[in-house]
Amino acid sequence: MRKCQRCGQKAVVYLPQHRLSLCKEHYIDWYLKRVESTIREFRMFDRGDKALVAVSGGKDSLSLWDALYRLGYNADGFYINLGIDEYSQKSKIACEKFAQEKGLSLHILELKKEIASIPEIREVERNRPACSSCGLLKRYYMNKFAKERGYKVIATGHNLDDESATLLSNVLSWNMDYLARQFPVLSEGDGFVKKVKPLVKFTEKENALYAFLSGIEYIEEECPFSEGASSIEYKKILAQMEERSPGTKLRFYMDFLRRLHPILQSQEVKLRPCRICGEPTTAEVCSVCRLKERVIPKLLSSSPSS
Amino acid sequence: MRVKVSYRGQELDLELGEKTSRARDVLRALGLSREYAFVVRDDEVLEENEPIREGDYLRVINAISGGYI
Repeated sequence: MRKCQRCGQKAVVYLPQHRLSLCKEHYIDWYLKRVESTIREFRMFDRGDKALVAVSGGKDSLSLWDALYRLGYNADGFYINLGIDEYSQKSKIACEKFAQEKGLSLHILELKKEIASIPEIREVERNRPACSSCGLLKRYYMNKFAKERGYKVIATGHNLDDESATLLSNVLSWNMDYLARQFPVLSEGDGFVKKVKPLVKFTEKENALYAFLSGIEYIEEECPFSEGASSIEYKKILAQMEERSPGTKLRFYMDFLRRLHPILQSQEVKLRPCRICGEPTTAEVCSVCRLKERVIPKLLSSSPSS
Repeated sequence: MRVKVSYRGQELDLELGEKTSRARDVLRALGLSREYAFVVRDDEVLEENEPIREGDYLRVINAISGGYI
């Protein structure tokens, strides 16, 4: 039987990459300290900064919000209702319940009121994966909302598995521009609010363990449109390597940040305010306003006339 | 040894063989890696070497999630 390396009680968690066995109490303590040290290491934000946490109802974002709350940060939640049937209903309830129990403030944006639901957009944009429109819209409304409400920073629950899978994909195609922009902090400017990822040093399992051991009721099910998603394949390949050689993912990602990222230069892009909505864009009209121009007329013409 | 497992909304009957089984054998039987999954019994997380008992009711949590890159 493995024992907790902090108190000698029975361990419930063993973390091979850290060679660490911990009981429930000391796992939560370890997790919170690591969130705090990641925020400091990358100078993400301070306790005085008004932060907006993007929450989906899943393990990563709710663990992040919970950790920031326990560590005494000033963090409100932001949930975008994508209108994906039962999945969205359940995830919205998980976020609302969490906020209510902790007495935290949760903002909800209804995508259907802004443009249309993801299933409706998917019907019109048939040659584009739903995840692509969905990601674009989430980033757009997160930034717009945070700016309008005076939030200094947006925090998302991206984890080590997300980041190392993205890194592997970017390396396999030598996408230099994406590599240059892959960093846990994106600074503010040109109409963008600062964005941070305080969970980049935690695996998905570590986040799920924190959520479970802290009694957070998150939704386990996956978005129905993410079936067959490319990131799962990269994650499984990395998991095989990690099993044989614990610490591979963390080393792959952290050494990229330390050794390669500093010498990469992102291409200078000229940003200007969108002619329609004023959000930053490289074109005259931003991608979201162009999406609206394509989607809204089609939905209006296909809806039954009353 | 047979155990019942709740996994992603399904109730499964798993046959784990005759020898002493451990939490990691449950993951293996489901084709999951310890890198992204873990076993829960009576609301307690089981460390991967924890022995499993005949007739246990277990929950398996798979933390892997995906989107397009």
